[in-house]
Amino acid sequence: MEDNNKGFNRRRFLESTALAGIGLLGAGMVISGCKKTKDAKELGLPPILKAAPKGKKLRAGLVGVGNRGTGAALNFIGSGPDLHIVALADIFQDKVDAGRERFAKFKINIPAENCFTGFDAYKKLMALPEVDVVILATPPKFRPEHFKEAVLQNKHVFLEKPIAVDAVGIRSIIASAKKAQAVGLNVVTGTQRRHQEDYIATYQQVANGAIGKPVSARAFWNQEHVWFRTREEGWDDMTYMIRNWNNFCWLSGDHILDQHVHNIDVINWFLGKTPISAVGYGGRARRLTGDQFDFFSVDYDFGDGLYSHSMCRQIDSCANNTGEFIMGTEGYTNCVNTIWNMDGSVKWKFEYPKDENGNEMTQVKIPPYVQEHMHLVHAIRTGNYVNQAEETAHSTLAAIMGRTAAYTGKKITWEEMFKSDMELGPKEFVFGPVDMQFEVPVPGTAHKA
Amino acid sequence: MKFLKSIRDLLSTKKAVSLVIVSGVTLGLLFTIGGSKVVKYTSSDDYCMSCHVHPHAEQSWKLSPHYDNKAGVIVHCVQCHLPPEGHGMLFAKAKHGMKDLYGYWFKDSSEYKWAAKRKLDAAKKYMYTESCTNCHKNLFPKTLTVEGENAHLNYLTSNSDISCLNCHLTVGHFDPNAKHEHDTNFGSNGSKKAEIYSEPALVTTFGNFNEKIPGTSVSFDMVAIPGGEFVMGSSKNEAFHKLDESPMHPVKVSRFFMGKIEVSWDEYLEFFKATSSQGRKEAEVNENIDAITGPTPPWGAPDQGWGKGARPAITMSWKSANTYCRWLSKVTGKKYRLPTEAEWEYAARGGTKTPYFFEGNPKDFTSDGFFRKIFGPDTAKISSYIAYKVNSQGQTFDPAAVKANPYGLKNMLGNVYEFCSDYYSPTAYAAYKKGAVDPKGPKKGKEHVIRGGSFKSDARDVRCASRDFTKTDKWLVTDPQMPKSVWWYSDCVDIGFRVVCEVEENIK
Repeated sequence: MEDNNKGFNRRRFLESTALAGIGLLGAGMVISGCKKTKDAKELGLPPILKAAPKGKKLRAGLVGVGNRGTGAALNFIGSGPDLHIVALADIFQDKVDAGRERFAKFKINIPAENCFTGFDAYKKLMALPEVDVVILATPPKFRPEHFKEAVLQNKHVFLEKPIAVDAVGIRSIIASAKKAQAVGLNVVTGTQRRHQEDYIATYQQVANGAIGKPVSARAFWNQEHVWFRTREEGWDDMTYMIRNWNNFCWLSGDHILDQHVHNIDVINWFLGKTPISAVGYGGRARRLTGDQFDFFSVDYDFGDGLYSHSMCRQIDSCANNTGEFIMGTEGYTNCVNTIWNMDGSVKWKFEYPKDENGNEMTQVKIPPYVQEHMHLVHAIRTGNYVNQAEETAHSTLAAIMGRTAAYTGKKITWEEMFKSDMELGPKEFVFGPVDMQFEVPVPGTAHKA
Repeated sequence: MKFLKSIRDLLSTKKAVSLVIVSGVTLGLLFTIGGSKVVKYTSSDDYCMSCHVHPHAEQSWKLSPHYDNKAGVIVHCVQCHLPPEGHGMLFAKAKHGMKDLYGYWFKDSSEYKWAAKRKLDAAKKYMYTESCTNCHKNLFPKTLTVEGENAHLNYLTSNSDISCLNCHLTVGHFDPNAKHEHDTNFGSNGSKKAEIYSEPALVTTFGNFNEKIPGTSVSFDMVAIPGGEFVMGSSKNEAFHKLDESPMHPVKVSRFFMGKIEVSWDEYLEFFKATSSQGRKEAEVNENIDAITGPTPPWGAPDQGWGKGARPAITMSWKSANTYCRWLSKVTGKKYRLPTEAEWEYAARGGTKTPYFFEGNPKDFTSDGFFRKIFGPDTAKISSYIAYKVNSQGQTFDPAAVKANPYGLKNMLGNVYEFCSDYYSPTAYAAYKKGAVDPKGPKKGKEHVIRGGSFKSDARDVRCASRDFTKTDKWLVTDPQMPKSVWWYSDCVDIGFRVVCEVEENIK
């Protein structure tokens, strides 16, 4: 846990380093030559669970009843005993209705009085005293406001990624995270690689020096085009944009946030720091709706000569791949399951479980989407506190920094991004016409013919 | 020998050893208990106030939220004015105790500059961040506003030396004038009934004139400064000479008009009212646009509660001052701008070649140095011309309080630092070694030249040749906004400016 108390920490740091110095001298003499490997606890890694522990009944409310929201709610229920979904909130009535039907198929009946619609539906849901946990899975623009309300109402929180689309949202998330921490509300985020056993095992290897000192990194999410909605008759501006949120920057943050934040997060996690600045570019070649780019290429500077190249693309029939890569002084890794020596031979490999025929499977047994909820429930029921909001806010901010670098063509620093007044979208959320321009960003300035 | 032997014998007995141990422990206990009692006794509010008899300290404490609060909790003197135990408490106690005793015996509390002591710089010396955070452990209570969140995130992530006091200066001792908010009424000066000027001053001859700001009841004096040649900088032989004041070089300056006094709050507030912007929209740097976007509402009270009127407007950024000149040019149809550094020094000297525009050696006026501290400087003469550290009580002066220089300009030296249009470079003068005509300083730079010293300066730094420069980052450490203001400095209270007006060629 991080202490908010800055001055106190500095002084304590000086005292404890002085003591540690003396301690080290002594200890060094006793165990010289004995290299200690750090265990999962020392590295701050989450527990790998087969199921969430038994404990008091937990009732969750779902805010944002789309496909991911419904999926997250089912993951929550499936993560352990005595876990329930008791309330739904969505901007649209048809989403809530469809959600209720889907839950009914799993023999989960959600009472009509616990279902809310409209822009303030989340507030009504969070006002329910019986709700212990909220799952926030709306388009990310709304996440900061929802998280803030959840903390005010003393709910434990699952935050789907990305967790904001602009700098004002990021700061709000970090402040709410600190408020949650102060009163002991647990927060788990949807950057599920941090809950994936193979990633965790690989991280442990890297953190204990398996690749030496990292010297460069790559992260990529290149895939086919994603879903979109064309405008239907009777949809006003606001309705259309939210129904097609995945294609409007103010709602989704663009796909460098929406998808690629996973890879950026892994790089930040493995390198143990956040980038200082970014230079990048991107453009829009084949997208049909909205105002977003469909490809980005960003060079993140982590300082001391360490860079990470980030790329993401959503265009059909191109070379596709998703993942991460880190090069070190003594080896390299794909971050997920393998570490190679410099000569290309395999140094270490994660052992996946075997199927009924005795063949090694290609995935971990418990999906990370469930594992993360096990962790949340584990934290609530055992008191082993968890709060991932700030780390995910940092990764999301790194993505926003990359996006801004590509949109503007300029070098963008962490410092200016963190302190920026960037706030996307309309000032007010109401149905009807929205007075906004949706020009696709063009970097730099024009030159004369 | 016999004596020594008997002692050795005595000590060698078991009884004696235990006697020594027991008495040692007893003495130690006495010291510890007695010592802690002494510490306790000398840490009570009553004990503090037995010396700190100036009553406003107690009254303002009792009106502050550290005494008068819903919870009924009283925070005592030493809980803020000493660090908590384990953080050098005893050392600090001894240090402050000695200082207080000295002050109590040798000084007169009525002569203390209490207003200055309540300013951030001074307050930091007897307040401990550890003491704040010893009780205020949670920087993110649920009730914290978005502004508070930004401010505390700024505190946690800032690389500069920022303490709780930067924002919460008056929480321990109540100040009725302190504002902890954006002053959205700033600039409205009630319903003054006075003549509203419809036309600016008409200038046909090269002489002093009174400029009138059309649409307002504000006017100000402009002094005609004849062109000429002077030697800029100071020689190594001048007391307190600094390297950036050399080499001395001849400079020719064309004639110009210069504000008789530093731009006053009355003048600046008209600009603020006419151009202030609600939200944070950076003014477009485009001279052709009609509308000039001016400052956002300031945070707190930029006049520091010292009063506005003819006192110099302060704490505005260089950008603000520059925008003011553009605005003034637009409404008067003349060419107002910030002075170049050369124009400034030429005007400040008023034809003199001495360190000040009056007679006197900086060595006699300075308060620095061992003997000066004991015997005190000779201040009568300098005090009649300059508002500086010794006579200012830590505040700006009304220009009526000082005498003018040979050109009739007031407060060129002291009162507040004044912006120049030049970028600052410590080696700027080297380029003009052989002389220059209307030099404008380095082409590129980050910080701008400021001149003249201020009410905070020692006599050594209010010499005509003294140079200084803006410190943008340092002057914005406290600003709790994200991003920080481009219009107001949060941490510089002694900066202002003076305008010059260019002379049309056809004027005789």
